[in-house]
Amino acid sequence: MDTEESTPLLVAESVTKVYRTGSQAVVALDGLSLTVGRGELVAVMGPSGSGKTTLLNCLSGLDDIDGGRVLVEGRDLFAMSDHERTAHRARSMGFVFQSFNLIPVLDAAENVELPLLLAGVPAHAARERALAMLAKVGLAGRAGHRPAELSGGEQQRVTIARALVAEPAVVWADEPTGNLDSAMAAQVMDLLHRLNEEEAQTIVLVTHDDDIGRSARRLVTMRDGRVIGDEVRSAVG
Amino acid sequence: MLDPLTLGLIVAVAAVLAFVAVLLGKAVLRRLAGRQLTRRPAETILVVLGSVLGTALIVASLAVGDSLDRSVRQTAYDVLGPVDESVRSATLEQGDEVAQRLAPLASDPRVDGLLTIRGDQAAAVRQGADGVVAEPRVLLWEVDFDAAAGFGAPDASGLDVADPGPGGVVINANLAGRLGAGPGDELVFHAYGQRIGATVTRVVPAEGLAGLGLGASANQDAFVSPGVLTAAAAAGGVQPTTTSLVSNAGGVESGAELTDEVSAAMADRLGPLTARGASVATPKQDVLDAAAETGESLGSLFLFIGSFCIIAGILLLVNVFVMLADERRGQLGILRAIGMRRRHVTGEFAIEGAVYALTSAVLGAAFGVLLGRVVVAIALRILNSYDQGGNQLRVAFEITPASLIGGAATGFLFAFLAVVLTSVRIARTNIIAAIRDLEPPVRPKTRTRLVVLSAVATVLLTAAAIPAVVASAATQTYLLPTLAAVAAVPMLSRLIGSRAALTVVALGVLAWGLLANTVRPDIYDEASTAPYVVLGCMLSFAAVTLVSLHQPVLLRPFRRLVERPTQRGLATRLAVAYPTAKRFRTGATLAMYSVVVLVIVLMTQIMTVIDRNMDQAVADATSGWSLRLDYNPTTPIANLGQELTTGPFAGRITDAAPLTIAVAEGDDPRLTTDVQLPVVAVGVPEDFTFTPPVLDARLARLPSDRAAWDLVRLDPAYVLVDTLYGSSGGPPGEPVAPGQGITLTDPRTGREVERTVAGVVRDGSPFYGVTGADLRFPVFMGIDSVVDTFGVAATQSSAMLRTAPGVDVPSLATQLQGVLVDHGVVATDLGAAVEQSYAANNQFFRLMQGYLALGLLVGITSLGVIMVRAVRERRRAIGVLRALGFQARTIRTAFLAESAFIAVEGVVIGSVLGVVITWLLYRNSAAFETISGPYPIAWGQILTLVAVTLVASAVATLAPAQRAARIRPAVAVRVRD
Ligand SMILES: Nc1ncnc2c1ncn2[C@@H]1O[C@H](COP(=O)(O)OP(=O)(O)OP(=O)(O)O)[C@@H](O)[C@H]1O
Ligand SMILES: [Mg+2]
Repeated sequence: MDTEESTPLLVAESVTKVYRTGSQAVVALDGLSLTVGRGELVAVMGPSGSGKTTLLNCLSGLDDIDGGRVLVEGRDLFAMSDHERTAHRARSMGFVFQSFNLIPVLDAAENVELPLLLAGVPAHAARERALAMLAKVGLAGRAGHRPAELSGGEQQRVTIARALVAEPAVVWADEPTGNLDSAMAAQVMDLLHRLNEEEAQTIVLVTHDDDIGRSARRLVTMRDGRVIGDEVRSAVG
Repeated sequence: MLDPLTLGLIVAVAAVLAFVAVLLGKAVLRRLAGRQLTRRPAETILVVLGSVLGTALIVASLAVGDSLDRSVRQTAYDVLGPVDESVRSATLEQGDEVAQRLAPLASDPRVDGLLTIRGDQAAAVRQGADGVVAEPRVLLWEVDFDAAAGFGAPDASGLDVADPGPGGVVINANLAGRLGAGPGDELVFHAYGQRIGATVTRVVPAEGLAGLGLGASANQDAFVSPGVLTAAAAAGGVQPTTTSLVSNAGGVESGAELTDEVSAAMADRLGPLTARGASVATPKQDVLDAAAETGESLGSLFLFIGSFCIIAGILLLVNVFVMLADERRGQLGILRAIGMRRRHVTGEFAIEGAVYALTSAVLGAAFGVLLGRVVVAIALRILNSYDQGGNQLRVAFEITPASLIGGAATGFLFAFLAVVLTSVRIARTNIIAAIRDLEPPVRPKTRTRLVVLSAVATVLLTAAAIPAVVASAATQTYLLPTLAAVAAVPMLSRLIGSRAALTVVALGVLAWGLLANTVRPDIYDEASTAPYVVLGCMLSFAAVTLVSLHQPVLLRPFRRLVERPTQRGLATRLAVAYPTAKRFRTGATLAMYSVVVLVIVLMTQIMTVIDRNMDQAVADATSGWSLRLDYNPTTPIANLGQELTTGPFAGRITDAAPLTIAVAEGDDPRLTTDVQLPVVAVGVPEDFTFTPPVLDARLARLPSDRAAWDLVRLDPAYVLVDTLYGSSGGPPGEPVAPGQGITLTDPRTGREVERTVAGVVRDGSPFYGVTGADLRFPVFMGIDSVVDTFGVAATQSSAMLRTAPGVDVPSLATQLQGVLVDHGVVATDLGAAVEQSYAANNQFFRLMQGYLALGLLVGITSLGVIMVRAVRERRRAIGVLRALGFQARTIRTAFLAESAFIAVEGVVIGSVLGVVITWLLYRNSAAFETISGPYPIAWGQILTLVAVTLVASAVATLAPAQRAARIRPAVAVRVRD
């Protein structure tokens, strides 16, 4: 317990990511370093094209990197095989994306229970926990609906439920409110804040929205693939 | 030049292309269609390849017909050449008179040759260093060689050689081959009870006059100097047959066009001689007619088999375009939202469809020609193996322009229509649903107008169906009630919901398809293939609809597996989730698999049932008569019964029954055709009827088969016919029934006699060869009746032999042929002949199954296309799954399992239906009435079929599955459709 508390959850050291298309090379992450501790809610902001999505993809191990290291819970992500990394992801990461990314042929409950089944939870228990999680995001009555039968906000809440149900070490969210109106966005953000505060859920959140950025306890600002600002505030504004 | 149908097709294709050209005038449509087509070249190629097969099968089927026609027509060149008409005379005196009366025709511009020759059947023997070689069926002619050379000039007569002189003989290549003889070899001919020795002076190709024969397609001919045969016959106390040959102006085929005119002129000149047996035969016209008929019936048989594959091909196109539309839903929605009209959407698809259709039609025609060649080569080999006699066809491949153009045009139109009709449906998409990528809204209440329409259509179709079912009209009995049920779907949906409505209708159609023949047992009496196509489709579609609607029920037994919280369990869950959700595309693929597998399994089962019954069939057909002897009528075997059951054969041959036969023509009492059928009147002696062949039916008043045989033996008013009387190779239809009347015609005199059918022989195959090589339907009657009806045409040239138990029949046959070579004896092992025709039947079935396998290929291609598309459509979902922690191999397994799931369902539906249909046939159909024992299921073959199909389907999915596994999780974040 002690060692777990003392090592930071995530350490990125001089991470470089270069996209090559034909003769052109775009340096999307330029020797970026970042450390995220347990229970933090980190908001990442920056102008369009500054590398926020790339940061999220690379630090979560969804995409390969060209240089540097990423340690999650003390383990080097890119020293693992794809198989190990995938298993690691299933155990300790959850994702919320801008466009809702639910599996269209599965209903809400089936979508939510996927990570549990991946973790080997028996079907019956998985269904119970999925329903409980759906209730927590306020969708108790919609468990049997397919994604196409849900509103944008509802879909996003299902996605959040799915990201959280397996109690991951960290949740990555890329503009989770990007497709929602302000009321809906506020609801979703409330949910994320509550989870962060009440259950100490670590969340890394990319956003364009200044209000959301400022509501986070820690705000990382990016430009041209580098971190240009990292402020931690004591109180939530 | 081209027939109206082909012209019509060309006009239709031209109209479609003109319409597409107009569409191409619109820049927007042109650009959209162009981009869509070139966006994914690999996929475009797959779709074209899949639809190529449809056209290829049509073209190949037509090519099979053309080639068979050509192959049979080839016999006109081989055995007739310039000969168009002939007159045979039994006596020299009459022969001379015929020649004299016809002589003035030499100056007729419609005639370019007259030739009188004499000759009959003989046996030929060569004493070689390697032993005696005998050929029992030789046509031995004496001819004026000068006249023969110029016969039919300027075209070659086929026999243009020097007179071999007394003691010499010219033989054709067929005979030379059989005897292994060449120039300088000594031959002995046995004819008219005499031995005629001769030295071979020349071997000539068996073409035209040198291949002459009346009936068979490969003859062994020998030609000697004038007078040689007449003298030999005189020594034997008989006269040789005289044949006057006439050649019409023109070449081999063009000459035949004058047949009617010339034969009328000949009949005129023959005058009173006609009544004395000298009638005009038109062998050339007969061969050409037979060619056309054989070609047509075989061509349509293959077209029938091919039609299931063509249906699969059409389903593929429909499926592809539905998927295309699915993929472009968002785009289409936006285009519609910004003002694109429905017909523009249809127009854009029409351009795309025309490109697909045109490319696949052109490629399909080319591939069809290749395929046709292969099928023709195999089909002819099989056809030739049916018949050990002289009736061998040479393989000639031909495809007429009409077939090529017609086939390609039909393929094009089918494909184009499939696309346009699909896109009309697509263009009706709800704009909002399309943009938001929702399932099309399920309307809570089907619109009233539709319900009214549905009700009206149901009533009308039901009204039309009732009389059809009452009359047992085969196709309509299946089709109309099915259509009525389908028409009722919207109305029922309103009452009980669409799912229940579809279920009820599909169940109804399935039940009707399976059981209609028990309610209306007469529906198979029509000798038509159409009902089978309708039946196959309606059963498959109904079963597939049921399965698609109730996948979850079917999957319930597998729930444990699906719910297991392992990577494999999750893979299974995904594998069934998509096919269950995407009902249409899954259903269309299932239908493709099931309709083709159904027909393959059906054929396998029928073959198995028939094979199972072979021993019984041999017993029924031969009823203990194990050998048939055919011998030269000019050298009859005196006192045959005595001769064969004593002496060297004593104890081995227990009974010998000579048959009296006469070549004749008969009409078809069922009136399915108005051509005169080739028949042979078979007169049976009393001892033959002690253990006669089994009957399938007889007049009700007759207590036993034996009584029926006795009746025809004693009462000339009655005859027995074969079950296959009048059949032409397709589904046999209802056999002639006892009590029906048939008219027999003596082809020499034109005299007609009426006879009543007293019974139907179950298997008359032992009698099909009695006239030599040509296939004639046997009609059984008393010996006196044959002689009275056909006079001099009646000959004794065959006998049925019964052997003692344990006798080695094949070696006895060989021995008989050797000992009785003077009589030109050919001994046929009847059991072996029946088995041989079974084997040939089996091969034919195999060939047709091979043809069907191409349809399966369409299904497999389609599965490949679906999976390729699935990978593309689900890129983001796959990315999400990978982000959630799905392993790459889980994704791959899921894709493989998904395609296996579809393939297994399709194959199982088809197999089950195939087995059930044959089981119902087995239980109820008259055709299988005689077969007893438990219903055999060809597990081995069916499982092999299933396994091969599944492996092929897995192979087709391997590449897309691999591609899916390689999708990187970051895609989940990036791709926004
Ligand atoms: N697959 C790719 N190939 C080439 N370049 C890419 C690719 N993905 C991203 N880039 C480039 O990398 C840079 C960083 O992109 P990224 O998506 O991380 O930006 P972002 O900060 O998330 O922007 P936004 O706020 O608009 O989402 C951009 O310049 C982008 O053009
Ligand atoms: Mg971004």
